[in-house]
Amino acid sequence: MDEFVCVRLVQANALDLTLFQFDYDLTFAVFFMNTDRTIYGRYGTRSERKDATKDISIESFREALAAALALHKHYPANKTSLAGKQPRPTQFKTPDDFPSLAGKYKPALDYEGKVVQSCMHCHQVRDAERRFFRDERKPIADDVLYPYPMPNAVGLSLDPKEKAKVKDVAPGSAAQKAGFKVADEILSLEGQPIISIADVQWVLHNASDASEPATLNAQVVRGRKKINLTLDLGRDWRRHSDIAWRTTTWDLRRMAAGGLVLEDSTAEERHDARLPDDGLALRVKYVGEYGEHAVAKKAGFKKDDVLVSVDRQTTHLTESELFRYLLQNKMPGEKISVTVLRGGERINLELPMQ
Amino acid sequence: MTKSLTLLTGSLLLAATALNAAEDRRERVLNDRKEVEAAGHWIYNDLPKGFAEAARTGRPLLIVVRCVP
Repeated sequence: MDEFVCVRLVQANALDLTLFQFDYDLTFAVFFMNTDRTIYGRYGTRSERKDATKDISIESFREALAAALALHKHYPANKTSLAGKQPRPTQFKTPDDFPSLAGKYKPALDYEGKVVQSCMHCHQVRDAERRFFRDERKPIADDVLYPYPMPNAVGLSLDPKEKAKVKDVAPGSAAQKAGFKVADEILSLEGQPIISIADVQWVLHNASDASEPATLNAQVVRGRKKINLTLDLGRDWRRHSDIAWRTTTWDLRRMAAGGLVLEDSTAEERHDARLPDDGLALRVKYVGEYGEHAVAKKAGFKKDDVLVSVDRQTTHLTESELFRYLLQNKMPGEKISVTVLRGGERINLELPMQ
Repeated sequence: MTKSLTLLTGSLLLAATALNAAEDRRERVLNDRKEVEAAGHWIYNDLPKGFAEAARTGRPLLIVVRCVP
């Protein structure tokens, strides 16, 4: 760490979004950077709410530090290989540019006054981005709904104690078809040197969206050999991501479910309720109580209701999949017909979209 | 009457708990800055200063975006 100039940022207020592009649901994100603003790499990954050690570790952070120093040592000779790691053009240059955040926060924290309330959180940037789509009455794009996909979206499980080492490959997945093997170390993706799982997520995040399948070129070390692999991402590959854990999903619940938190019914619950394994059976785990999160409650939904039909859809959907369907196909103001199972009885309700 | 009193007491207790939580958070935010700056290793919430230091020393930047828990 002594070989770096270490800067700690504790606020998203006035954050330069032309430079700091990362998974805004993280509470810990790291950038390794040259003073000319060239990014060497990123660190910080999260795939669930409680257990941070599932995705990051001191060991992998140490490896990322060493790799970043090596990239710095060879800079600028390696500048071309770093091109793909650099931020993408963005419509909103600071959080304050988003219509829903404009004027709400000052550029600096108010340490003399209400310091907590003066702090904009990173997740509010993603919330504002989605709200922008919604307010414009546009479908929320896949890459905005499923940001920074975990490598398991393509079938790769990476070891959190290593830079980017394959721990498991899902059978039948894009990764398996590409030829990835357990213990492969990913050296580069799309020509970008990979120093962390976050770097892999960066490449995935910026891969083509759902409208066209993407192909990614990878180089791995297997034993002592360097091997080139081609990862073909099928259509809709992002939609394998689970977004239920994300803080920003809270606002999606407001938009698409009137404040309901939904959970897939277990096999036992399905059996007891005589519901098919491949059918829709989303149990209401929580009903929002206040403001726009109480819209479902006001519409008559109750805890432990089981949604068995939504807009005549009766096939199996996870909460994330249902939100995608609604947020890409239904606009604020529309009312969606929903059938719930309550105490063995089927009840028809209307769910307002927001 | 008893029900109203119970509700009022409950509301006051909830408000007091929320106030304590807000105070705790405020303390944590203020202490975080104090402690990190005192330790001396980190440039706290000052990106231009970080870039200037990196330019002066030739060292790379390590920038952590981290909310105060």
